[in-house]
Amino acid sequence: MTVDTEKLIERMGAAVEPVRPLARPWIRTAAWLLVAIPYVALVVSVVSPRADLISKASEWRYMIEQFAALATGITAATAAFATIIPGYDRKFLFVPALPLAIWLVSLGEGCVQDWVRLGPDELSLQPDWFCFPAIILVGAVPAIAIAVMLRRGAPLTPHLTTAVGGLAAAGLGNFGLRLFHSQDASLMVLVWQVGTVFILTAMAAWAGQYLLNWRSIVGTDRRSVLIR
Amino acid sequence: MKRQSDDHALAALMQAAQAGDAQAYVQLLKEIAPRLRQIIRRQHCFVKAEDIEDLVQDILLSLHAVRASYDPQRPFMPWLMAITRNRLVDAARRYGRRAAHEVQVENVSVTFSDEGANIDSDGYRDPEALRQAIEDLSPAQRAAIEMLKLREMSLKEAAAARGTSIGALKVSVHRAMAALRKALIKES
Repeated sequence: MTVDTEKLIERMGAAVEPVRPLARPWIRTAAWLLVAIPYVALVVSVVSPRADLISKASEWRYMIEQFAALATGITAATAAFATIIPGYDRKFLFVPALPLAIWLVSLGEGCVQDWVRLGPDELSLQPDWFCFPAIILVGAVPAIAIAVMLRRGAPLTPHLTTAVGGLAAAGLGNFGLRLFHSQDASLMVLVWQVGTVFILTAMAAWAGQYLLNWRSIVGTDRRSVLIR
Repeated sequence: MKRQSDDHALAALMQAAQAGDAQAYVQLLKEIAPRLRQIIRRQHCFVKAEDIEDLVQDILLSLHAVRASYDPQRPFMPWLMAITRNRLVDAARRYGRRAAHEVQVENVSVTFSDEGANIDSDGYRDPEALRQAIEDLSPAQRAAIEMLKLREMSLKEAAAARGTSIGALKVSVHRAMAALRKALIKES
């Protein structure tokens, strides 16, 4: 062993402090939901839930879409927490694909049904700019919480990790949005709401290099080790 | 079977390290450093010896930074190997980027005739003399040189690490450079 590496090891030994091992991904997901769900509930109650929420609960399409959005958020969070644990099974990344597919298929099927029922002339796409800031508002605290939690792990796949983390927050944001925003036309939901979710996911993926990188994580520890 | 018991032993050391056991941590790092060196040598046979050491140290520091991500219920080696692979890919990427921006030039045997162009730093090519000269500095000056020149920390970072002011650090590094220059000229 070279003198430098040996010296470094001695210094690392002197610098070691007790750390609490990270909990399993699903346990961390539950912890994240403990922060995220009350916040979403708070936003929905402050903005005031939609008037027809009770009757919407008996509509299977609305329930499937809400369930799929929520499940996408939860499974994406679990996948994101799995990606920061070295050696974890990467198959976790495919788990959110199932609820996401159910969500998209349900909306796609709704579009087709509307097209058959109303005809192509009636099936119009109106601007609905409210969705973008509203999803950001509902997803803000879940996004910050997941970003903080992801920074405790290893930045093995920064872009992928923040993309899946962003999908989790945006999925939950969309779930909350539909509890107070009365926009249920499948085409509108698909374009404006799911479109916003994908844009936010892409933005989160881009931010990966800044949020999660070895330089910042190792740099802090390197200094604490080397100055001993 | 041997591999499994070996992994159990490393996992036990890591678990103790997570609990703050410095001795177990040092033992663990000493156990894995030669393995890392071997892996790097096998996978990156073109890497120079000093670069291998840099990579080993980089991986050890990465392990240190994310040691909380080790799950004591899971085997140790797959965890370590995932970090190793990731850091080696990063290093290869860095190397590729550097190589793409580097221009290979032949060693020019003559310099300009102007005397000012012929700087006398060529005389200080004795690493042992330099190491000795650094050792002979006062502790404050040595720390300043180590942090600012060798570790390339910023003045702000180094001042925070030393718990001193930026001004005092500048004075230390200036005096240290003067002392080194004097010592090395005397040496040559």
